[in-house]
Amino acid sequence: MISNEKTTIGAVLSAPVRWLAEAIDIPMRWWQGIAGRPGMISFFLIPNLLIFGMFVLVPLFINIVYSVTGGTELFLSDRSYVGGAHFNRLLECENHFNPNSCREDLFWIALWNTIKFVFTQVSVMIVFAVITALILNGKIRARAFWRAVFFFPVLLSPVVVGLIWQWMLQRQGVFNFILFQFDAQAINWLTERTWAFGAAVGVSIWAHVGFYVLILLAGLQAIPRDLYEAAEMDGTPPARAFWRITLPLLWPNLLVVIVLALIRAVQVFDEVYVLTGGGPGTSNLYLTQYIYEVGFASILRNPGLASAASLIMASILVVLTLAQLGLTRWKDKK
Amino acid sequence: MGRIRLESLRKSYGQVEVLKDINLEIEEGELVVFVGPSGCGKSTLLRQISGLDRPTSGNIFINENDATNVSAADRGLAMVFQSYALYPHMTVRQNLAFGLQNAKMPKAEMDERISAAVEMLEIGPLLKRRPGQLSGGQRQRVAIGRAIVRDPTAFLLDEPLSNLDAELRVSMRAELSALHARLGATMIYVTHDQVEAMTLADRIVVLRAGKIEQVAPPITLFEKPVNKFVAGFIGAPNMNFLTLDDVQPVLGNVGVPAGATMTGIRPQHLSPAETGLDMTVTLVEALGTETVIHGVLGSGATILVTVPGHVKTSKGEHMTLNVDPAHLHFFDADELRVEAA
Ligand SMILES: Nc1ncnc2c1ncn2[C@@H]1O[C@H](COP(=O)(O)OP(=O)(O)OP(=O)(O)O)[C@@H](O)[C@H]1O
Ligand SMILES: [Mg+2]
Repeated sequence: MISNEKTTIGAVLSAPVRWLAEAIDIPMRWWQGIAGRPGMISFFLIPNLLIFGMFVLVPLFINIVYSVTGGTELFLSDRSYVGGAHFNRLLECENHFNPNSCREDLFWIALWNTIKFVFTQVSVMIVFAVITALILNGKIRARAFWRAVFFFPVLLSPVVVGLIWQWMLQRQGVFNFILFQFDAQAINWLTERTWAFGAAVGVSIWAHVGFYVLILLAGLQAIPRDLYEAAEMDGTPPARAFWRITLPLLWPNLLVVIVLALIRAVQVFDEVYVLTGGGPGTSNLYLTQYIYEVGFASILRNPGLASAASLIMASILVVLTLAQLGLTRWKDKK
Repeated sequence: MGRIRLESLRKSYGQVEVLKDINLEIEEGELVVFVGPSGCGKSTLLRQISGLDRPTSGNIFINENDATNVSAADRGLAMVFQSYALYPHMTVRQNLAFGLQNAKMPKAEMDERISAAVEMLEIGPLLKRRPGQLSGGQRQRVAIGRAIVRDPTAFLLDEPLSNLDAELRVSMRAELSALHARLGATMIYVTHDQVEAMTLADRIVVLRAGKIEQVAPPITLFEKPVNKFVAGFIGAPNMNFLTLDDVQPVLGNVGVPAGATMTGIRPQHLSPAETGLDMTVTLVEALGTETVIHGVLGSGATILVTVPGHVKTSKGEHMTLNVDPAHLHFFDADELRVEAA
């Protein structure tokens, strides 16, 4: 029971704190006057909703408006309605597999580059992550240290990642120095198309793999040890134990990891942009960079076209996100 | 065939010696139970035998062959785990078949073995289910089935019933006993439930702190415990340990063996009488079939008595107790059993 004696919190607190509390009370009292006691829930929710609206809903709305209006003006009311013209321009192709036959060839180059990047990066990274997680889950020396080593790059800012690797991969960088020690020819890691793509994939894997290793490691640790002991008693060869026990039991985690990695890879931008600037040529031009350059960086700024492209990319991400949500729910049910 | 012999087996984890010089011979077809308090090394000993773990020193012989360095799979033993360790993503049938597939057994033979085990354990209707869709008792059966299909030299069972409720435990215990009789296979069974040990075992191995205290058939263990530890561990409620002075009134003309400093009397062997030990009752537990009476002697020593049926007494009352001298145990200063010459 609450006693009738009035021991308000204000009496206990010192004066400045009391003033602050009273100041906060003013809008709360005002709101309760309007919404009533049950409506006070919304008082606590509104700040969050405002932030969400400001940083998500409003930009989304602006983005949609841009995508159906033309011109280089930034103020929405100055822009003229063009309907689906931007989308048509982006999607207009004689042969969608040949970017040169497309009206907006750079968009298609970026799209195909992104697809190529996503498949290469995700598949290599997942295999690498699984192997790393298996090793880190085993009995190895200094296990905690190695786990930290693999997770460390995840904590770095993408720009820092890009710069570090640029230093190491440039013509006078440490990689070529090592090659030089072995009397091998220097390689133009960042200026030759194939190497540059490989470098982008490699650096991006280096930067992100630790996160996925961590998730997979958690999944591996959730597999009871005695299953492996039962398998050992059953005379199961290690490879068969991996395919028949580890992999099926890790599968739910693995699927989530794959979809998360896909979502991240589709949005590839910062570290690769810092690393190669999208080059050489257009060999490392990806969708996000295309959008950024069309919208802000090129001489012929075209925010409408950039917005349309970003909505196309968003729809890909929505599909992947829904898949991820579905998978998570399926996994929790299992 | 299923003889297992352990020779001066030792196991240390770092500085800690968990098994200290274990010597044991298990005959073919025998059901041997390892009992002992928690942490005494029962599971560790079983793991050395299974091959999942290797001893620090000593040897393991299976059917007279040195198996100390043979891999777990090649020892021909099957293990039933406390947690069952069924593969959760496989159906019951796949669980049973997994080990046989590893051995690349022809399908016809595999089917035959599986259906034999399925029939024996009556798990036919469960074959298509996954472990998650089974009750504890059903999982237990499947786990045993997985061991049976391998037709092992010996079965190793680590507290297989401890995850079941009391009622199921009693019925599974009886089934295991029947299964052992039917298969005629060597079984090593770990438990810390002494009722399980007493009811199942051909011989019981009592372990304490990594050492074997006594190996004997259940009744021998009950009637002739080699030392105070075994005497106190086997039998419920625990044996009363009293000084010679305490029991002077009932010793009468019983010859006290030379060197004895302490007597042990099981609560069941004390009974109300005209003359004997004078006890003040402190607590009465009426269980229906028997009554457990707690009391103190004149010297202040506590004592437990169980009397069949219902006995009318209550706290503060006095009782006089007598004991059949044949049921008196004597221990010397080193807590070892001493008997009248
Ligand atoms: N891998 C290990 N590393 C270090 N110490 C261990 C290891 N396994 C067991 N021990 C120690 O060995 C001792 C015996 O353990 P064990 O599991 O054999 O006991 P137990 O008799 O089976 O006990 P319980 O009845 O509780 O199952 C314990 O003190 C335990 O802490
Ligand atoms: Mg144990």
